[in-house]
Amino acid sequence: MSSWKSILLRIGDKSSEYNSSDDFKDHIETCFGALRRELAHSSSEILSFLLQCAEQLPHKIPLYGTLIGLLNLEDEDFVKKIVEDTQNSFQDALDSANCDRIRISMRFLTALMCSKVLQPASLVVVFETLLSSAAITVDEEKGNPSWQARADFYVICILSCLPWGGAELAEQVPEEIERVLVGIQAYLSIRSHTSDSGLSFFEDDESGGDVVEKDFLEDLWERIQVLSNNGWKVESVPRPHLSFEAQLVAGKSHEFGPISCPEQPELPSTISAVAYGKQKHDAELKYPQRTRRLNIFPSSKTEDLQPIDRFVVEEYLLDVLLFFNGCRKECASFMVGLPVPFRYEYLMAETIFSQLLLLPHPPFKPIYYTLVIMDLCKALPGAFPAVVAGAVRALFDKIADLDMECRTRLILWFSHHLSNFQFIWPWDEWAYVLDLSKWAPQRVFVQEVLEREVRLSYWDKIKQSIENAPALEELLPPKGGPNFKYSGVNGQEKTEQEQAISSDLNNKVKGRQSAREIILWIEENVYPTHGLEITLSVVVQTLLDIGSKSFTHLITVLERYGQVIAKLCSNQDKQVMLIAEVSSYWKYNAQMTAIAIDRMMGYRLISNLAIVRWVFSPENVEQFHISDRPWEVLRNAVSKTYNRITDLRKEVSSLKKSIISAEEAASKAKADLEAAESKLALVEGEPVLGENPAKLKHLKSVADKAKEEEESMHDSLQAKEALLAQALDENEVLFLSLYKNFSTVLNKRLPDASGDATLQSLKSIHGDSMAVDLEELPTMEVDDENGIAQKSQSNGGKATNNVGEKEQWCLSTLGYVKTFSRQYASEIWPHIEKLDVEVLTEDAHPLFWKAVHSGLRRLSNEL
Amino acid sequence: MASLFKDPAKLSAYRDRRFNGTQEEFEQALLNSNTVYIGNMSFYTTEEQVYELFSRAEQVYELFSRAGEIKKIIMGLDKNSKTPCGFCFVLYYSREDAEDAVKYISGTILDDRPIRVDFDWGFLEGRQWGRGRSGGQVRDEYRTDYDPDILSNGRRGGGHGHGGSYRHGRDYHRKRHREDDRYGLEPSKRSSEHESRRASDHDSRPEKNPRFRESGDSDDEEEDDRKRRP
Repeated sequence: MSSWKSILLRIGDKSSEYNSSDDFKDHIETCFGALRRELAHSSSEILSFLLQCAEQLPHKIPLYGTLIGLLNLEDEDFVKKIVEDTQNSFQDALDSANCDRIRISMRFLTALMCSKVLQPASLVVVFETLLSSAAITVDEEKGNPSWQARADFYVICILSCLPWGGAELAEQVPEEIERVLVGIQAYLSIRSHTSDSGLSFFEDDESGGDVVEKDFLEDLWERIQVLSNNGWKVESVPRPHLSFEAQLVAGKSHEFGPISCPEQPELPSTISAVAYGKQKHDAELKYPQRTRRLNIFPSSKTEDLQPIDRFVVEEYLLDVLLFFNGCRKECASFMVGLPVPFRYEYLMAETIFSQLLLLPHPPFKPIYYTLVIMDLCKALPGAFPAVVAGAVRALFDKIADLDMECRTRLILWFSHHLSNFQFIWPWDEWAYVLDLSKWAPQRVFVQEVLEREVRLSYWDKIKQSIENAPALEELLPPKGGPNFKYSGVNGQEKTEQEQAISSDLNNKVKGRQSAREIILWIEENVYPTHGLEITLSVVVQTLLDIGSKSFTHLITVLERYGQVIAKLCSNQDKQVMLIAEVSSYWKYNAQMTAIAIDRMMGYRLISNLAIVRWVFSPENVEQFHISDRPWEVLRNAVSKTYNRITDLRKEVSSLKKSIISAEEAASKAKADLEAAESKLALVEGEPVLGENPAKLKHLKSVADKAKEEEESMHDSLQAKEALLAQALDENEVLFLSLYKNFSTVLNKRLPDASGDATLQSLKSIHGDSMAVDLEELPTMEVDDENGIAQKSQSNGGKATNNVGEKEQWCLSTLGYVKTFSRQYASEIWPHIEKLDVEVLTEDAHPLFWKAVHSGLRRLSNEL
Repeated sequence: MASLFKDPAKLSAYRDRRFNGTQEEFEQALLNSNTVYIGNMSFYTTEEQVYELFSRAEQVYELFSRAGEIKKIIMGLDKNSKTPCGFCFVLYYSREDAEDAVKYISGTILDDRPIRVDFDWGFLEGRQWGRGRSGGQVRDEYRTDYDPDILSNGRRGGGHGHGGSYRHGRDYHRKRHREDDRYGLEPSKRSSEHESRRASDHDSRPEKNPRFRESGDSDDEEEDDRKRRP
């Protein structure tokens, strides 16, 4: 990397480029000096690299802004070009709904204003343009309030600029900025409050007390007002331009041309709640809320921060996470080295956890955050591990209220994290969960973490890791071997005949007989005498046993003898029996159960509907609140179905693209041919047929080929589109079946429907079926106002749960209803009319209805 | 996302001598492959452990991005003893998942060892056998999970060190992996024990591996080999 580049890149960092100085003024002078020398001969290179730096290192924008202000004194044209390029990319970002670029461009413009490159009035014009677009969107007459997500986003962007330039604006254009703020206040009064109940981390938020929690925009607005009352002082934003004020004022301010916001989509012609809801869902997908605060730490850990500093640091952290995904070293070092004069480990942990748990899904795969947390534990060994442990404890204390999806993510993260740190954890702190009922969320959490730990390691190792709380061994999964009915050891109840069939089959497989031969043998010698049940059991168990040694063994058996199974399990009933057999063979190993079922679905030996039926079979339904086992299988099945659809969509769209180029090629070839033909016809007015026939023939064959190509592509597109349509139909059937099953099992167990049914009231029903002696439990404090059992807290941490079994079953199952609805909302919305007719009817229990709707984010005011 | 610090051209400094083709073809193969190579594994790590870890690079949380699955896992075997010798291949259905596995799993711990995950040009029959002189994988260098230079210059797969020098970062010895994982959530008191277990992986094998579901007799081992071939 040439030296000016690394100087530009490393500005603001304590690095060798700057002799480890941390004075921003020095940095800017050094960097300015380096760039000034290069400007004459590499100006375009500098320009693009500088813009890249400003976009990808947005926490350094004030430094880059000041630098550009200084360059403006040297070379106005260069800076003019910067402004123009920024304007273009900002407009593109608005048009393409590139949220991150919009937000960062605006911060950059603010910094340019601070360093006198832009007039404050130009920035105000940008604000006003966005604000007026937002106001129109939420206007019921002229706009389309279902697109409020975008309007909110624009206003958030305006407010987000103020920590960086509020002081300058208030000083230089006080009336204009006041007008903008008044406009925002007016906007806030017409928009509707965003109800986040479908996406909140904790269930208890929705109990509907008097205090409505502020949504993100309302919260930011309050922080900005505090900031304004403080005279716009922000500790977390460096203001390097102040040191150069005397020079900067001499710079020429550049024009910033007008920008325009895209129109919002028209309201649907027939106004219905469903059409409105679909549009709202689309808008929220395009303009998602960036973060949601987790608030797990006591306020004493962060209270010395000004409200706005919290917002700014979150912005910094989220941007580093966004841009340094995949660069571990830089990610960790920027995370710990933000340009702020205070410590922020707690805020950092909370921000990362809020991303890991973000609903409906985090910006990146959860494993990315796992890696970041590990790296920060290594980068700040003295401080961060304890903060992470604190976060785990805080989340564990609230686990009964934590969203089901978040619980699953937390289990996967925590087990993985511990596997990277020798599985060391003070398990004795949690040993008390053994005294809780077996459905208590904290106990289930510990059990599932241990299950995942064993999968990443091995049983004895994990057993050893809990030696400070040996009683927890009770929660370890079984040792995991197969449960082969025909092993001859525990098979005393199996007849010798069955045993013999099994070993015959085993020998045939070892003798490498083909699937056909085995099918024939079964049809002739086994099925007629033993009937379906025994045949299926012996064949499936034996094949599974042959494939039991490893994942590869399983796949090999399924590849080679899948046909045998397919032949035997030709309909859904039999497939359900097949899955039950798999589950019985791998009874002691949840991972292999899930893998085997997943692969069988992959080889189309079992359908997703058969899996749903099996998951809702009585023995699994009983497990819903105490084990992840059935849910893992169900998650895999739905996600595999979704993957197939996604694949088909991708193929269709890439075929469409290639058709366009094939059409172009075909018409070009045709034009070439015609041109050649007409050219020949014109030679000397005489038809010279023999002239260059080879070339003509070649052109003709090219044209024919191109035409053929185009037609064959059209054919394959048609075929793929048909497949996609079929897959979408199947998907509709799958979700209908899933919801019907949910509705049925819930209706049986939920208490009689009443109008004001809430989850909280479920939680306050104390079960009669308590397996634990209540006397033994720590004292409960009851909050008189709402009767909710409060957990007795927390140092030494004996939080407990005394929800009855049936109630906990309902809470867990409803939690999963919400999870599936939320995760696949985009796939479910197209089928919503059918769902309304067939499942979400008047008979549906209100709590079930509510869980589906809040997962689909269909709960708010449009209904 | 961050184009500032990444050199996209640098996929792997290791050049497999079994690859028939030019350097460009090799790089092209790496760019398109859905296969990753995993090195520096414990000899006792099972396919199911690999599955559990590597399926975490494929979770479906992002809508509109293809979520893949693991297609195959091929354990590297010692060519004499036909037992796992510390490396394997994971074949994903999608390229994105392979990329994420390299991005997020390389340098993290599996079974007490910092594993290395690299793009691989594609599995072919025969590549499951270790190429070390002893039949197994030549002992992997330890490397840090922090220094990309070391990451891409180490030897791999039991090769004889062709392609890629033996250059190490200056502080190679200081940053061996056991330094890295010292800081868990709680301070470790057990690193010495940890080291002795790790050493035993290579130097002396305990009689019985607690993780194999059954210990096969020699007939089964034969069966084993046959099955591993696709």
